[in-house]
Amino acid sequence: MSIEEVCRKFQTDIVQGLTNAKAAEFLIRDGPNALTPPPTTPEWVKFCRQLFGGFSVLLWIGAILCFLAYAIQAATEDDPAGDNLYLGIVLTAVVIITGCFSYFQEAKSSKIMESFKNMVPQQALVIREGEKVQINAEEVVAGDMIEVKGGDRIPADIRVVSAHGCKVDNSSLTGESEPQSRSPDCTHDNPLETRNVAFFSTNCVEGTARGIVICTGDRTVMGRIATLTSGLETGKTPIAKEIEHFIHIITGVAVFLGITFFILAIVLGYTWLEAVIFLIGIIVANVPEGLLATVTVCLTLTAKRMAKKNCLVKNLEAVETLGSTSTICSDKTGTLTQNRMTVAHMWFDNQIHEADTTEDQSGASFDKSSVTWLSLARIAGLCNRAQFKAGQDALPILKRDVAGDASESALLKCIELSCGSVRLTRDKNKKVAEIPFNSTNKYQLSVHETEDPNDNRYLLVMKGAPERILDRCSTIMIQGKDQPMDEELKEAFQNAYMELGGLGERVLGFCHMLLPEDQYPKGFAFDTEDVNFQTDNLCFVGLMSMIDPPRAAVPDAVGKCRSAGIKVIMVTGDHPITAKAIAKGVGIISEGNETVEDIAARLNIPVSQVNPRDAKACVIHGTDLKDLSQDQMDDILRNHTEIVFARTSPQQKLIIVEGCQRLGAIVAVTGDGVNDSPALKKADIGVAMGISGSDVSKQAADMILLDDNFASIVTGVEEGRLIFDNLKKSIAYTLTSNIPEITPFLFFIIVNIPLPLGTITILCIDLGTDMVPAISLAYEMAESDIMKRQPRNPFRDKLVNERLISIAYGQIGMIQALGGFFSYFVILAENGFLPSFLVGIRLNWDDRAVNDLEDSYGQQWTYEQRKIVEFTCHTAFFVSIVVVQWADVIICKTRRNSVFQQGMKNKILIFGLFEETALAAFLSYCPGMDVALRINIVLFAYLISFNPSGWVERETYY
Amino acid sequence: MAKDGEKSEWKEFIWNPRTREFLGRTASSWGLILLFYVVFYIFLAGMFALTMYVMLQTLDDHKPTWQDRLSTPGMVIRPKADETFEIVYNIHNTESWDMYAQALDKFLSPYNNSVQAQKNDECTPDQYFVQEDSGDVKNNPKRSCQFNRTILEDCSGMNDRYYGYESGKPCIIIKLNRVIGMLPGKDGQAPYVTCGAKRYKVGKDEWREDTEKIGELLYFPPNGTFNLMYYPYYGKKAQVNYSQPLVAVKFLNITANQDVNIECKINANNIPIGSERDKFAGRVSFKLRINTNN
Repeated sequence: MSIEEVCRKFQTDIVQGLTNAKAAEFLIRDGPNALTPPPTTPEWVKFCRQLFGGFSVLLWIGAILCFLAYAIQAATEDDPAGDNLYLGIVLTAVVIITGCFSYFQEAKSSKIMESFKNMVPQQALVIREGEKVQINAEEVVAGDMIEVKGGDRIPADIRVVSAHGCKVDNSSLTGESEPQSRSPDCTHDNPLETRNVAFFSTNCVEGTARGIVICTGDRTVMGRIATLTSGLETGKTPIAKEIEHFIHIITGVAVFLGITFFILAIVLGYTWLEAVIFLIGIIVANVPEGLLATVTVCLTLTAKRMAKKNCLVKNLEAVETLGSTSTICSDKTGTLTQNRMTVAHMWFDNQIHEADTTEDQSGASFDKSSVTWLSLARIAGLCNRAQFKAGQDALPILKRDVAGDASESALLKCIELSCGSVRLTRDKNKKVAEIPFNSTNKYQLSVHETEDPNDNRYLLVMKGAPERILDRCSTIMIQGKDQPMDEELKEAFQNAYMELGGLGERVLGFCHMLLPEDQYPKGFAFDTEDVNFQTDNLCFVGLMSMIDPPRAAVPDAVGKCRSAGIKVIMVTGDHPITAKAIAKGVGIISEGNETVEDIAARLNIPVSQVNPRDAKACVIHGTDLKDLSQDQMDDILRNHTEIVFARTSPQQKLIIVEGCQRLGAIVAVTGDGVNDSPALKKADIGVAMGISGSDVSKQAADMILLDDNFASIVTGVEEGRLIFDNLKKSIAYTLTSNIPEITPFLFFIIVNIPLPLGTITILCIDLGTDMVPAISLAYEMAESDIMKRQPRNPFRDKLVNERLISIAYGQIGMIQALGGFFSYFVILAENGFLPSFLVGIRLNWDDRAVNDLEDSYGQQWTYEQRKIVEFTCHTAFFVSIVVVQWADVIICKTRRNSVFQQGMKNKILIFGLFEETALAAFLSYCPGMDVALRINIVLFAYLISFNPSGWVERETYY
Repeated sequence: MAKDGEKSEWKEFIWNPRTREFLGRTASSWGLILLFYVVFYIFLAGMFALTMYVMLQTLDDHKPTWQDRLSTPGMVIRPKADETFEIVYNIHNTESWDMYAQALDKFLSPYNNSVQAQKNDECTPDQYFVQEDSGDVKNNPKRSCQFNRTILEDCSGMNDRYYGYESGKPCIIIKLNRVIGMLPGKDGQAPYVTCGAKRYKVGKDEWREDTEKIGELLYFPPNGTFNLMYYPYYGKKAQVNYSQPLVAVKFLNITANQDVNIECKINANNIPIGSERDKFAGRVSFKLRINTNN
């Protein structure tokens, strides 16, 4: 569309801009120029979800049944026992407290997110009714004339009308790290590629431009990606799935047992009320009330630990996801690389020199004494329009902000680092003329005075595309001396150029020439429009090549991921060659692995003849990706271990993530740009960069690396795997006590013995004594090198599998139950009720009217007297569970190692043991507690509960 | 499609023909796991049985290890009332009191003089009937004292088949729970039962007593004593034919057509007063209502 058409379409004027009235009208029609924030769930919905999710429903049912039973009792009896009322209240309190607890945990982590949204209101310079006004970017409407200059953020999608050396940084949108120039001419049909459109939220790096706003808010390209992102359904995190799975199992068991025994109780002739009370007991015994809170605490502790290591976790459940991750799709720019061009190599004196690209300048240096190098540095410094922004002298050179394009900045920093102040050099060599870079001649030149005031010659310096520069040269500088350019040197140049280009680096050629004084005397008027001076037969000095270098910690981190069985895939919007070079640099394509193309080149055969199975690595271009069917895609993802996707669009990133997920992988995506955000959202866990990342990406991510360091992911993986292991232990520990809790009920109902363990006592175990030891298991150290094993298979390696249940319920739980029953029988027997006598005694035992119940010795007991003995039994059962849980926590502490290998270094666990004991003692001995909790003082002699085996199975653990 | 997948997944889980797995395990795996659990549980059961056996060995055959819960013996009335502890009947309605009489008949039948004379000895009254073991040699079986039904006189049911129920002068029989080795009352003072009005709550902080409604009481044996010769009790194993002493209370002119709350308690100089909560330790309370109108 021509400018006039655009003007007509938006009823605007190229000089005057919109009228205020029109602008107001458009503003009402289109809405403010801002991205709609992703829809948020209302707080009360979140709260209710916590209140009614998971086990809560079961507990609610239990509580309601309790109240119902109490109501019936209150209606039918004069003096109803308060048990059911208390139990109902306790259950309700438990549900509400755990609900509130999880809610606040969640609210806390989402608050951290809020702090990221502190967007400063952005300003935009618009022309309305012929006047330039500064308005809030939100009020910009389609049709507005806008002016942007270097350093501004572009307030909307604009069609450029006029531009002066305008360059924009599209990296957050497309992933390309080089700024692109903008001009009024249409260069491409694709709006993303054309030169005359600048996009919302990208940055203008240099120059000025004026344009007409064509899209605002959600209709901008950026807005569309953001909408794509927010429209994506995020799957549940693996740990959420695991916990759900686990809740299903437990709920299933609880409901099954509850209903079975309810029916059984009715069949056996119990009253409805009694059956309901049994049902409550079974539910309470079956549901590990404290477990979800324990899991939340464990996850929170890990999240805190990770935050200390610069991994901020937005979503608690994501803590574990990294641990089960089997594929990481990483963006290149800004994640693997530093997102700043840096001079990597130089070629002069017919030799390639390596520059230091590390972030902290710890790398190797090169010979700086060569005269050729000094000349090269002078050219690079002079023929360069970039300069440091003012007021940054205190900062190290690499951290300073530079005004100018990326490659010139790279040169500037490189020269500043190795040769001292560029500004001084420039001051000494005054610039007299300059031809800026343009795409037709592909070079940039400038003419300067020399440093020597007596030397009146002018120095012409030129840089540009190496082959163009070479064409203009007749000599070459070797060791500071001009030598005629012969074929051999040209060959050497070609080799160097090819080699550097093959590394994915952007290569620039440099040449200079001292203009002869006779032809160009002092004061010669250089005309840059119509070139009136010599621009060939120059002296070639050298090549410099630049790259966005990988971060120092990345190769190591990639290696660790690989040894942990995690596939690292690079997905970038950048060129394949650059992508491949970086991939090789950081180890994503490891040494010795070849792509199909590499094999073809080595064997000198066409690509089509190479068996794709031979190549472990592959580089796939975005355009090829478009043509691939789903099967082909799966084939590639399955058969290549080292994959690089280049030139990918945001949608393609999404397709790649989905492809990996289809193969059953748990995918982590790292990225910083807007273009990564759909993939970040789709991934099982999205990891955004905290410093360089865009707001959209941070919003889409589950985890934020505060130091932008890819290596932090490794920490995340490690912590995630550890917490999975430890949660397993914690759950095994908590579940174990379910058996000694439920068996008393079953025996109570089936063989009619006095109740060995009361419901309130069960709550004491679940919510009291078991909590701290279970949480302490989260502090357990890793048993083996968890970074050396494969990621878990989400289909097979469940958090709670039948082996865990079988150990917890079938083995340890049984031992515990026997221990509990033993202490129960001891107490009853020592008080005169022998075990054989107990079967069937329940009916009389629980009958208030029977106050002369005979025991095995012929003594007679009143109701209250035998109830005191019963509560003593409850306490003894409780204490014996606590005692066997000591052993259990030590059993659960380790899965593979023996306790002697692992040691008892977990201080929290030792604390937990003491706390558990102290709490148990408090509950048993504290006066008044017998009324409150119906637990009675246990004679010390009863503490002889036994604790057999347990140690044997440790080596054969799940 | 998803449903189909789920279904076949289930099928595969139940029986996977490829790996020959049933419910996720092969036959040998199932065999091993079952074997393990069988052995494991046998071992556990053995262990449990062993510990239980050892524990039972530590117990005395004739006296339980702990009796501290029974320091105040319980008291029970006959005829047995249900959980409401009420005896309510109408003298004109034979069926309403006949069951009480029958219950007492049944309860007292072992105390028939003939039975007692056959099984038990006559003992010296007013002193404990101590039958010590001499060292390890158990003095078993131990003899018991006769408690003849006739001791209860008017309440024995011998003279008055209906225990006074039909005439509105009912008998209530009270017994003290058996506790092995208990010696109720020192210095030769026998424990005795007294019945009186029970303080009961009618509203918040409002108490009432039915003292004036109770009327005259008659105790059998006289004064409602439990003779010391029936103590101590040696347990049902050693003292098979032990006859628990009884006290009968006859209400001679209780107010009819009204609820009367009565509490009987044991008076002994060495039995502690039981806890407030236990309403049957050392005392027993019940409600008596005799309706006389048609």
